[in-house]
Amino acid sequence: MIWEELDRELILTELEAENFEEVFEKLGGVVTEVGYAKDTYVRALINREKEYPTGLDASGVGIAIPHTDISHVIKSGTAIAKLTKPVTFIQMGTEDEEVEVQLIFMLAVKDPKSHLTKLQTIITMIQDPEFLKKLIEADDVDSIIEIIKEKEGTL
Amino acid sequence: MKKRVIVACGGAVATSTIAANKVVELCKNNGIDVEICQCRISEIASNLPADLIVTTSNVRRDYGIPLIKGMPFISGMGVEKTEANILKVLNQ
Repeated sequence: MIWEELDRELILTELEAENFEEVFEKLGGVVTEVGYAKDTYVRALINREKEYPTGLDASGVGIAIPHTDISHVIKSGTAIAKLTKPVTFIQMGTEDEEVEVQLIFMLAVKDPKSHLTKLQTIITMIQDPEFLKKLIEADDVDSIIEIIKEKEGTL
Repeated sequence: MKKRVIVACGGAVATSTIAANKVVELCKNNGIDVEICQCRISEIASNLPADLIVTTSNVRRDYGIPLIKGMPFISGMGVEKTEANILKVLNQ
């Protein structure tokens, strides 16, 4: 289960940023400080996002799932951030289609094969717009974990 | 005959792992014998030949074989159409 493994330190309910770089510096900074990633992680995320964007329009809710090469990761974890105001990302698989992102699921992936189930669970969850709307409305870490727990119970 | 599908994304970490698994399931459910090669976009050329490329990133280059965008497997929107397109190519 994802919710049991969520690290409260990696959940930010009010992240203010002007652009995706700032989102990565702040949230990726936390991921690094807490010990999930190396100092190279944030720079790698930014570079990768420019080449292979991770914004998604999940049935009308803008989200992003930034991640980068396993060489920058120390241990697997998922960081979640709610943005105080939407930040423009480019949609995955496009060159210039924009999406206004409200929620970030930052993935620190160390071993993709062994985390397939976990990755799939996260991807399945973010395909549910009702779930995403609930997360956007949640105002504290406990509520976010509770919403994820509830959603996982239905999968 | 066994079909070979290359599933590629920027870093062969997250999205191609998901897409590769979806393609495996799809083929299994439709009786298609498939071999998946998961790699980075930059490694596609060296993994040819193949019957199909499924990618979750933007690819401009023409590899001379069908290329299908696998973003619907991630966003959840348009999955059926993408699956139909994949089956169409692999059933040829």
